[in-house]
Amino acid sequence: MNAGVVRTLAGKLGELALTLFLASVVIFSAVLLTPGDPVAALAGGIRPTPELIEAIRAQHHLDDPVWQQYLHWVGGVLTGDLGTSFVYKTDVAALIAPRIGVTVLLVVYTAVLIAIFGIGSGVLAATRGPKADRAVLIGTSIGMAMPTFVVAILLIWVFARVLGWFPVYGAGDGFADMAYHLTLPAISLAVLYIAFFSRITRGAVVGQLHSEHVDTARVRGIPRSQVFRRHVFLNASPQILAVSGVTVAGLFATSAIAEQAFGIGGLGSLLTEAAARKDLPVVQVISLLLVVVFVVLNAVADIAIAVIDPDSAKPRRNA
Amino acid sequence: MRTTRITAAVAGAVAALVFLSGCTGRDDTSPVTSQPVDSSKLVSSLPAATGEVDEVTWALVEGEPSTLDPAGDYSLAIPNLCENLLQISPDFGVGPGVATSAEWADPVTFVIDLRDDVTFWDGTPLTAEDVAFSLERNRVETSAWFPAFVLVDTIEVTDDLQVTVHFTAPDSTFRDAIAGAAGAVLSKAFVEQEGDAFGTASGGVMCTGPYVFDEWTPGSEIVTSANPDYWGGAPLVGTLTYEFITDGATLANALLAGEVDGAFNVPPASRDNFASSDSGRLVLGPSTASYSFGPTNSTGAAADPRIRQALSLAIDREQFITTVLHGLGEPQSTFTPPFAWAGMDAADQYTDAYEALAAPELDLEQAKQLVEESGVDTSKPLVVAIPAGAKELSQTAAIIQSAGAQIGLTIEIDERQPTDFSQIFFDPAARESIDFVATVGYLDAPGVLGYAQQFLLPAELGGFFNWSGYANDEVTADLQTARTTLDPAASADAFIAAQEIFAPDQLQVTLASAYQTTFLQNGLTGVTTSVAVYSSPWALHLGSE
Repeated sequence: MNAGVVRTLAGKLGELALTLFLASVVIFSAVLLTPGDPVAALAGGIRPTPELIEAIRAQHHLDDPVWQQYLHWVGGVLTGDLGTSFVYKTDVAALIAPRIGVTVLLVVYTAVLIAIFGIGSGVLAATRGPKADRAVLIGTSIGMAMPTFVVAILLIWVFARVLGWFPVYGAGDGFADMAYHLTLPAISLAVLYIAFFSRITRGAVVGQLHSEHVDTARVRGIPRSQVFRRHVFLNASPQILAVSGVTVAGLFATSAIAEQAFGIGGLGSLLTEAAARKDLPVVQVISLLLVVVFVVLNAVADIAIAVIDPDSAKPRRNA
Repeated sequence: MRTTRITAAVAGAVAALVFLSGCTGRDDTSPVTSQPVDSSKLVSSLPAATGEVDEVTWALVEGEPSTLDPAGDYSLAIPNLCENLLQISPDFGVGPGVATSAEWADPVTFVIDLRDDVTFWDGTPLTAEDVAFSLERNRVETSAWFPAFVLVDTIEVTDDLQVTVHFTAPDSTFRDAIAGAAGAVLSKAFVEQEGDAFGTASGGVMCTGPYVFDEWTPGSEIVTSANPDYWGGAPLVGTLTYEFITDGATLANALLAGEVDGAFNVPPASRDNFASSDSGRLVLGPSTASYSFGPTNSTGAAADPRIRQALSLAIDREQFITTVLHGLGEPQSTFTPPFAWAGMDAADQYTDAYEALAAPELDLEQAKQLVEESGVDTSKPLVVAIPAGAKELSQTAAIIQSAGAQIGLTIEIDERQPTDFSQIFFDPAARESIDFVATVGYLDAPGVLGYAQQFLLPAELGGFFNWSGYANDEVTADLQTARTTLDPAASADAFIAAQEIFAPDQLQVTLASAYQTTFLQNGLTGVTTSVAVYSSPWALHLGSE
């Protein structure tokens, strides 16, 4: 590992810490500012009297100054106490744990589909002549215009209801069954991004195909496939990687749409539901988790780019 | 006194109020049948099963419960786990259950005798201590079931299998109340041992019902299994698993594809899809559920009965039933639904009085005249609050809005997020900026007094939702008499006398009653299909045909 990569890594860790701190402040304040009193969630199942509401507020420090509430919360999170759900009255960790696997599998599945079909079709469009290019262009235009929930409805109708190849809802048990259950949700999430990645890949590859070093390599008689792998694709990959981190992190957030449509109890659906019910501890923890994923994945993508293209890791200074 | 759906909202179980909200339908683009249903064809239960079934999967349309504690949520998973002292039959009568008898020994002494063969799932026998503990647990002011206990003086264990409840005054509603969740029987030892964890996914519950709680995986499912030692005989279903499907389209797909075996409260918008299914059937049953809207404060125009009467006269009930319920309901003349007394001793008296009430009618001229007479400032818009995401209530609000427009009233719709909405029910400040709140409510146990007491009595006598400041001494006296008179006929007379006075004031503008809907796969039978599902073990006789 060269010095550039090490420097990038250290920089990333610093960025991660700063981002997490800022994000935790923003998330905490945003959740507090939304309308609705969390007492309603806390008082679930009882007929709240004014005295009881006071007691609940005191017990959960709801009347403390915001900064004190923030420190209380951050202190808990740093010591491994994620807090207790207002609605379910159980540890937030216990609520999140069984859902995390489903969402991770869904996102990974989707990412794999995007990598294969998005990048694959982009390369195809760039290298297999005008007919393939036109076909991919039309396909990706349609893909980009299809919102996830519309794709979900179509997929359920065709592949679950009419053909009966896939289950219409649920996450399944065990890896194979879960992968089977998550196929349609993953496709519905992937369609838009496949189109997006296809366009980006095509652009990047075409750019490289017309570059000087590729021409030189060809002139030197290096076999086509080798030229493509070593010179075209490798040089095009930083552009693709740059959006990969953001995309995969974004999938964690948008998975809520597919989880809702396919009745999957994952993190996304829990977040949506908790936000509506003003279950602050759950919303805060999941939001923070999403930020961590976002920052970490972007850092990983940046480091990968630095490895492929060490020049990009050199600090750029304004003259 | 019954806890109503509205109380459940107070209780913060917000999703409750919008139990039909799953139908944020994407499936309503197809032409939909909205033909009226012959109400004599409603069924309260399906014939008891004869064959065993290994596994049944049931969808909870209301979503994942926040707790399985009967005092904390209204989830349909609870009635099969935790029994109440008396059992509510599908046609809404009250009979023996865990208690062999529960009767008045004298006007202020109520004696509950327990079966001697009832055990909790862990094998410990049910004792009077458990029952007294369970009742006391609901007799705290913060309990959703507290109204049932306001006249109770002391609860005493008088024998191993006998509990005696002493009253400050006779209470005609108590026996029916303990057939509902106010009389839910819990293991004292278990509740004390689990503490705050009782009812949660990690703590679980310990009861005597026909199904045993096995496991609750948050976000995924609740697994229960047949209780082999159930005093009423073990159920025929080996494992009964509940899954949480709130999305109307997902639910319809899962049911029609046969991946889920059944569900209650399926969205009316999917009526066509269900009716044409060849794998299962849609069953319609009688219910106490109704759609209504009522005033939220004592100062605005909504507090004027003439404004409520005018809106009532401007709303076409047939159109409401067609649009919102897709034909799966019928007009209702006052807020107390007829099925509430279907199984009561004085049923005929109540029915005669109900039929004598003015049925809702459409009369725009009279409505306009009432608005004019009221002298309210019609330039000021009236705000109707509804919970966000509840399609049926959103349509309801739109209908109220267009009715208002026809008679010169401007109606604004305030769609609120769940917690924001439930705040309306316990925070007076949250009610100031709105004029009406539209809700779906139901009565979970027999009895006629629940709504009347909550909407009409002064707050200190139990008028928790009497926000418009309704005060009529005669009504108050009659309702108190109805409650404290044990003779069914005399109690009914008092209620009916009050109803004649308060019904025209429309403290709730009742729009329609909604039928109980059940979808069940072919080959399965035996479930309760009336509103009794909320407080009786509805899957006790479930199995194959």
